[in-house]
Amino acid sequence: MKAQNVQKGSKTNRGGIRFSDWNNYLFLLPALVFMAIFIIYPIFYNAVLSFKDVNVYNLNGKQNFVGFDNYIKTFKDQVFYIAAKNSVIFTVVSIFFQFVIGFALALLFNSKFPGRNLFRSLMLLAWMLPVVITGTVFQWMMSGDYGVINYFLQSIGLIDQPINWLSEGNTALLGTIIANIWIGIPFNMIILLSGLQTLPEQLYEAAKLDGANRLLQFKHITLPLMRPTILVLLMLGIINTFKVFDLIFIMTAGGPVTSSTVLPIYAYQLSFSMFDFSHGASVSMIMFVLLILVAIVYLKMSNKEEAH
Amino acid sequence: MADSKWKKAGITVLATLIIIVFLFPVYWMVKTSVTPITELYNNPPHLLPVKATFDSYINNFVRNQDMIGYIGNSVVISLGTMLMTVVLAVPAAYALSRLKIKGKAIIMILLLSIQMLPGIMMAMPLYIMFSKVGLTDNYIGLILANLIHALPFAVITLRPFFLSLPSGLEEAASIDGCNKFTSFTRIILPLITPGLLTVAVFCFLFGWGDFIFALTLTTGDAVRPLTLGLYRFIGQYGTEWNNLMAVATLAALPIIIIFVSMQKYVVGGITAGSMKD
Repeated sequence: MKAQNVQKGSKTNRGGIRFSDWNNYLFLLPALVFMAIFIIYPIFYNAVLSFKDVNVYNLNGKQNFVGFDNYIKTFKDQVFYIAAKNSVIFTVVSIFFQFVIGFALALLFNSKFPGRNLFRSLMLLAWMLPVVITGTVFQWMMSGDYGVINYFLQSIGLIDQPINWLSEGNTALLGTIIANIWIGIPFNMIILLSGLQTLPEQLYEAAKLDGANRLLQFKHITLPLMRPTILVLLMLGIINTFKVFDLIFIMTAGGPVTSSTVLPIYAYQLSFSMFDFSHGASVSMIMFVLLILVAIVYLKMSNKEEAH
Repeated sequence: MADSKWKKAGITVLATLIIIVFLFPVYWMVKTSVTPITELYNNPPHLLPVKATFDSYINNFVRNQDMIGYIGNSVVISLGTMLMTVVLAVPAAYALSRLKIKGKAIIMILLLSIQMLPGIMMAMPLYIMFSKVGLTDNYIGLILANLIHALPFAVITLRPFFLSLPSGLEEAASIDGCNKFTSFTRIILPLITPGLLTVAVFCFLFGWGDFIFALTLTTGDAVRPLTLGLYRFIGQYGTEWNNLMAVATLAALPIIIIFVSMQKYVVGGITAGSMKD
């Protein structure tokens, strides 16, 4: 058995095979131990929590299993449906604009012009800023009386009266979406740009000779060849946007009332404002299941792509 | 030829305009931070600074000692996150790319999935676990929490760097008398310095930018980072936006400095960490 392993190893292994294979696992062990204690166990713990009745009063005392009570409580709560709806709106609208604007910029930055690399880097700066900072800056820009966004909108005549973006129920979610689009554009642009740069130039030259205009080239060469990149990007986008917490928490904390409450904010409030940990755990388990579904769709799609 | 020159100039002008519009929020942050409070509520606002003052910086960083504490905590947490991630992730990425390990594919899928976990989902169980063992209000606790997202990112980003090295390096090293561990530390590690730098930069940024774990795993100011300090100021200062923007600008400064000095590694990290296998 051992000898067989070593023989196989000598063909497939890039490293030395004269040492015991057990040594290999020593390199991996610290990371695996960390993941087991601080990632796998907490997820498991969270699942258990969602079937118990743990709150701030019995955190160190007697805790009972209550079956699906927390889930039933969640599904009976109006706020859950509002949060779910807001999450979907937040995710879909954010991704749509991040992607479309990011793609347009990627196409622009794909042509060679002086200052291109500098500009590309400057865009990324926006993406790298801590979200707390971005949220605070947008809160100031969207302030009702002295906010610069209202000033711009008023001076081009788009609105008559200043809008209290973040303190009015019908614009609060939109305000956070706008800030989130701003954060996401550079990432979308960079990923799409790196995809565009791998496309073979000969195809475009041939298309030009055949008399295909820019639009036709885009439709028949760029889009089909970029399909895998686009799919991965959109899936990553859904997963990352669905879990946005910091930005909304900073800008509106989910308010006014529930108008910008998304699922992560809802889970946070249950656990850390009402200290009903088990109820909060049930909401995050629901989010977890939803994300797994998205991930499965993603894997299926990428398998199909490979089969193509 | 002349035609294409004009076209290039046109694109540059267009790109410049886009950058100006896009980076306006960053400009507005810095501009507001040096605006005197009396100017702040001018309607219409002055888009260019009329007179600059550094009052808000002096108020927040010279007179107010709290800020120094927050900054110190942020530095400890970011450096701790960076060091811990590198120590755990580098050997793991090496094993997953160049050594014979069973279940590699499963571990890679696991790492990719962990990156997708919502922070709030981890914060809740961690809060209960940590409060039982005294890791709330603790640097170590925050660093460990930050590792949840930093570690998978680092392993996934480092793996292509290890894979790109020629095979047989270890065998050559073993002929020269290296064992498995010394060939890793003496031969392989120096060759992936760019990858190490990329990972180090990003893990520092993860630590510096963390908000959710700082919010949920601390109750007092003892270990709170600058991100939470900024958040608490929103409540305290209300509408004194010049003070808030001064804190925001200072919190952004390390990011900008790192970004400008390490640009090459940053751009590489974004594409590598998110898209590769």
